Amino acid sequence: MTRHFRSWIMAAASVAAMASASPVLAQDVTEITVQRFFGACDADFGTNTDVSKAVGECGIITSLINKFNADNPGIKATVTTVEWPGYDQLTAQFAAGDPPDIVTVHESALSDYQSKGLLLPLDELLATVGISPDSFTDAGRGGVTKEDKIYALPIDSWTMLYHINLGLFKQAGLLNADGTPILPKNVDELLAQAEQFKQKTGKPYFIQNLANENALFTRNLYTYLFQQDSDFFADPMQVKLKTPEAKKVFELYKTIFDKDYTTKNMDYAAAIQAFLAGEGGVQLNGTWVVGDYNASAEKAGTALNSGGYAVYPYPQLFGGKKAQYADGHTWAVSNKDDRTPEQLAAIGKFLKFFADNDFEWSRTGHLPAFKAVLASDAFKALPHRDTIAPIAELGTPLPSAVQRQFAIQDIIGEEMGAAVTGQKEIDAALADAESRINELLANL
Amino acid sequence: MAEALVSSQASLSSPALTAQRAPRANINASQWRNALFIAPYLFFFVTMLVFPLIWGIWLSFHKADTFGVGKFVGLANYARLFGDKIFLQSVGNTFYFVLLTAPALALLGLFLALALNRQTRSAAFLRAAFFSSSVLSVTIVTLIWRIVFIPDFGLLATIYGWFGAPAPAFLSSPDLSMIAIAIATIWWCVGLPMMLFLSALQQIPGEIYEAAALDNANRWQTFRSITLPSIKRTFILVLLIQVVMQFQLFGQARLMTQGGPNNTSKPIVMYIYDVAFKRWDLGMGAAASEVLFVLILIAAMAQFVLTRRRGEN
Repeated sequence: MTRHFRSWIMAAASVAAMASASPVLAQDVTEITVQRFFGACDADFGTNTDVSKAVGECGIITSLINKFNADNPGIKATVTTVEWPGYDQLTAQFAAGDPPDIVTVHESALSDYQSKGLLLPLDELLATVGISPDSFTDAGRGGVTKEDKIYALPIDSWTMLYHINLGLFKQAGLLNADGTPILPKNVDELLAQAEQFKQKTGKPYFIQNLANENALFTRNLYTYLFQQDSDFFADPMQVKLKTPEAKKVFELYKTIFDKDYTTKNMDYAAAIQAFLAGEGGVQLNGTWVVGDYNASAEKAGTALNSGGYAVYPYPQLFGGKKAQYADGHTWAVSNKDDRTPEQLAAIGKFLKFFADNDFEWSRTGHLPAFKAVLASDAFKALPHRDTIAPIAELGTPLPSAVQRQFAIQDIIGEEMGAAVTGQKEIDAALADAESRINELLANL
Repeated sequence: MAEALVSSQASLSSPALTAQRAPRANINASQWRNALFIAPYLFFFVTMLVFPLIWGIWLSFHKADTFGVGKFVGLANYARLFGDKIFLQSVGNTFYFVLLTAPALALLGLFLALALNRQTRSAAFLRAAFFSSSVLSVTIVTLIWRIVFIPDFGLLATIYGWFGAPAPAFLSSPDLSMIAIAIATIWWCVGLPMMLFLSALQQIPGEIYEAAALDNANRWQTFRSITLPSIKRTFILVLLIQVVMQFQLFGQARLMTQGGPNNTSKPIVMYIYDVAFKRWDLGMGAAASEVLFVLILIAAMAQFVLTRRRGEN
């Protein structure tokens, strides 16, 4: 009886101790919620805190957040990973009044949320942790500045690139004496080189993910419209696509498709597999795969290792300004009424951590968003940065006042895809794209 | 003992007690408190179905985005909707998909049920096997079929490769994309029709088949004159359930083709999703939802009318 009574007393005391200790523990750890895209790779990097050992977007961002949590025991950043780009989910979260504290947002999508008052202006918060917007690159600062306020922390600038299989280029006779690839300087040269490549290698010049793809078509169109000085978004509420410039771009890509200078019917994953397997000369893909492709090229026995891998900005095919479409990734902070000062301070620390580690992020292949990193020897020493550095100057976004850029991207991609694959006349596709986008923008 | 019983009966039938007995309650009488029995269901029915339905109709007459309702615009959202070629295309796509899947599911379900309506272990195993796909989530189903259809590296490409032929581009051809989604859907959904037909077949009395056998009826005659008339109502039920279900196609199209190429596999629900959540045009999304609601309502009413008429006959 005495022993039972003692057990009860001990159990009750334990429960009481736990109950009284829990609030203390809870007070000690400030929890913030982080939502991001860039994929999930917990199997490889779920516990890694040595960022230098991580490769690729997913590996590096996972390791960075792990390191942030390890370095800040008083803060717990809980991560939700969403499928790219995650805006449908984010919009629903905002509508439900339950957004994450910190979220990855493209510079091109910031206006949608900022214009609704859903994002926190960060000028004061960044100042408290010692981040000056003057330290941002021009592209980064322009991308996150709305109505003279900073609405996100830029972490990179990205664009599309020519990822080149040098072994196949050599076989096609498209290498200079110094081993660099011969790239076209105009549309005729591009088509001639693509024909030469096809004849000599039996493979298509381009590897493109054209199967139910929207983003690639749209980014290609923007790039070559910029190169023709086409001011297609002179009015951010109205697009002009029924133009000779747009028609030239559609015709170019249709010719590439019709003459089998490109892979067909591949989705994004298949296109990456095909490039890594040496199925074509040039893959049109973004800055984010430079790290992974370079790693493959350094591995003995791979298709890229046999002849080498190089990466360049899109060639200048038209006579206008030297430009190509670019965007950037940012960390944005949601506007929340019930956020505590401790949580706000934790968010500031998180942003500071990413600003301080922008070099690590730039190892993905993206251009850094901080001038100091861009100018650093460490960044310049990274593989291929000498050839892709010009995109810091070439990168051109859409005007930031253009809203619903992801919805517009889908419309252009659908129409351009239909025209290029021959399901629709080019003029009809351009007219439909223009009217559909303008109808969307007229009803914001 | 007998005296006690007689005494008890006498006391029960005494006029004094009969007068005191409460009037017998009519359990069929309509009383408000009976509504309490259905109150829990009614609460959820009203809050989860009726209210959203009315809210959706109200939204469809307003300019609204995800973050607020703006001004009343009358039928403007409907006018925009019926002026949108993509919406009309998505309506056509949805009907095409229903045409591809609903009859196929009914016929295939019936065929499987006829083949597996026997008390053997192999039939039991095959019934479970054919039903097992129904328990998978749409994500797993589309992943499996993407592995089959994906160009160059997929199962189909590998099989065609053995014969030196290129595989059809199921996911990126405007003529094949909806067929690819239909194949995946039939594989996924065939379990339920099969089970419904099996239960209907097992309700047909065995004596009728015995009588037919005595009359030397062959298999086709038995099927046409006994089986088919006996399961006619189930057949109509299966067909209409499938019509209503397949009108709501979304996940497979979203995950396999993203509605492409050139919107040839975009169903109405995906159009609603794009308009409401990608373009934030909630008013127009609500208008499209009401159109879909009417289409499904017509199908459901057809089911009601047809099955009732059969019952009356």
